[in-house]
Amino acid sequence: MQDKIVEVNFGPQHPSTHGVLRVKVKLDGEVIVDAQPVIGYLHRNAEKLSEMGYYPKAQIYVDRLDYAAALNMELGFVLSAEKLMDIQVPDRALWIRMMMVELNRIASHFIWLGTHGLDMGMLSPFFYCFREREKVFRILDEITGSRLLYNYFAIGGVYSDVTPKSLEMIKTWLSDFDKNLTEIENIFKKSYIYVARTRGTGKLSLDDTISYGVTGPMLRAAGKKWDLRKNRPYLHYDQINFDVPSQQAGDVYARMLVRIEEMHQSARIVAQVLEKLPAGDFYNKKYSKPMLVRIKATGESYIPTESPKGEFGIYLVGDGSAIPYRFRIRSPSFANLSAAPAMLIGYKIADMTATLSSMDPVFGEVDR
Amino acid sequence: MSDNILVTTLDEALRWGTGKSLWPFTFGLACCALEMMSAMGSDYDWARFGSDVFRDSPRHSDLMIVSGTVTKKMAPRIRRLYDQMAFPKFVISMGACASAGGPYVRGYSVVDGVDQVVPVDVYIYGCPPRPESLIKALKLLQDRIADGKVKH
Amino acid sequence: MIPVESEASSKDGVKIIYVAKENILQFLKEKKDEGFDYLLMITGIDYKDHLEVVYHLLSSKSGERLVVKAKTDGEIDSVTSLWKGANWHERETWDLLGIKFNGHPNLKRILLAEGWVGHPLRKDYPMDKKQYVNLKEDGDDTVSFEKKEGY
Ligand code: SF4
Repeated sequence: MQDKIVEVNFGPQHPSTHGVLRVKVKLDGEVIVDAQPVIGYLHRNAEKLSEMGYYPKAQIYVDRLDYAAALNMELGFVLSAEKLMDIQVPDRALWIRMMMVELNRIASHFIWLGTHGLDMGMLSPFFYCFREREKVFRILDEITGSRLLYNYFAIGGVYSDVTPKSLEMIKTWLSDFDKNLTEIENIFKKSYIYVARTRGTGKLSLDDTISYGVTGPMLRAAGKKWDLRKNRPYLHYDQINFDVPSQQAGDVYARMLVRIEEMHQSARIVAQVLEKLPAGDFYNKKYSKPMLVRIKATGESYIPTESPKGEFGIYLVGDGSAIPYRFRIRSPSFANLSAAPAMLIGYKIADMTATLSSMDPVFGEVDR
Repeated sequence: MSDNILVTTLDEALRWGTGKSLWPFTFGLACCALEMMSAMGSDYDWARFGSDVFRDSPRHSDLMIVSGTVTKKMAPRIRRLYDQMAFPKFVISMGACASAGGPYVRGYSVVDGVDQVVPVDVYIYGCPPRPESLIKALKLLQDRIADGKVKH
Repeated sequence: MIPVESEASSKDGVKIIYVAKENILQFLKEKKDEGFDYLLMITGIDYKDHLEVVYHLLSSKSGERLVVKAKTDGEIDSVTSLWKGANWHERETWDLLGIKFNGHPNLKRILLAEGWVGHPLRKDYPMDKKQYVNLKEDGDDTVSFEKKEGY
């Protein structure tokens, strides 16, 4: 019998693509021989709109890039903008930012873990993860006043101070966080089917990882201990103890382990911030209305930060006016997703959902 | 005996049944999709309101929740998905983007409102709307179906 | 050694190197051999009279960063032979800024629909001229300026 290549179109609406990804797959029997991701179904012209308004206005579009971890996105923007405009930020604001970013990272990884479970045919982790995620959201809601998209960081500080009540909430939440997470972790690790389906699936070698520009948990799962919070500390990460998890295998299972360990470490960071949080201003008093900052800037800046998906930063170029001349988003998911063919080809079609969801793509950020 | 007999028209019974067994279509577009997931997740659990089974295929579902920004590249595909749904079908437009283009309305690649693509029954404001709003929209839709105000 | 046209520094203390556009492939190859193994992004800037292509490099051993820029009038050599990840970045730069990368294996639009007119991140892109996208039976997109032809 002659080999027959079948072409299958996957998406843009598919429950396991985490959004609007389309993949054109060529199959030989059950084996994938070619896979081409097609993106752009959520291209919302964030860069163009940001180049049309004042600097602080761009923040609402930055917020909506990686909507699962909006504060991490805002951080990349405000750091870059502050560098460009030479704005000093009070110490308390830096510590608050660090705490908020880690809380948001935990929420983002919870979404990933829950939906990853769904993709692998496990319904219960989804409900456990969303239960835990809602606890984080209640804290973020208390501090920022909003659940998903916060617009909380501002050029020069943060919009509002943390209250003693919210700190108390964080303490209560921290007291049983590790226990609850371990409970969820065990659902994955002890599921024979899950382990069998993910060990050795979707492998990406370290060379390929670097060549495709893949960063974040996927890089750490491929054997490189690389975390910008350690390797190029911003905020006050150099004053905090935490470990960078890494695995050697580079498969879906390793990515799951890395992300779960990252959540434990994030909780550790939050606990330390609570101890060290200094008193003082939460906002640079020179700029009394953050949304009305109209500072003219020249030159360019790009501050890389470690978002839950990898290296994120905003490349800002100023032309001497109060409007960014060039506003380029370096989005980790875009680079991570470009490595998809290398992870899919050679595996079975049934492994595809596992591999795609292990990349944790968020399409607001891929398509921008 | 008369306590146990319910007199109704077939039409009304059908409407009651339709409203109380909406099957939404798992179809996330952007940020709002995460709040939609929260609504079906543990804390909000909107299965309590008679809209339990999220279906992955348009042919199995009768409620489309447009949760997010409708881009020009995606709009014809949304139309195609809508056409594939079985009658009777309903649409909830969730959030500022789906209702009117939201923060992206001035851009070059965003459709200003999903009502240019498919007919909409209920709009929700907010960016993103909280899960409570989505549940309210569901109740609103159920009431309107029961009143016979929505016909598709 | 490839000659460097000029050097500068960005606000966050990263070196910016300007190279002639004919030498870009050779220069980046040298830098890659020197240890800059990561290509973080390729992007472009429209300066109205000329375009600039910007490469952000990172060395994962030392953590050092480098920005390489080349002035062009719309064409430059592709670096897909050096980094696999360059493929999508170059496609995006072509899509949104209209910089052509010679030698790219598949230089097609990536974010916008195939058939779109113009490159939106150019400063002279007409924002008031709307384009409408529709779907053909075989799944490809069509683009037109008529509102009734699409969404
Ligand atoms: S309305 Fe707001 S939250 Fe919803 S998709 Fe649009 S930008 Fe995102």
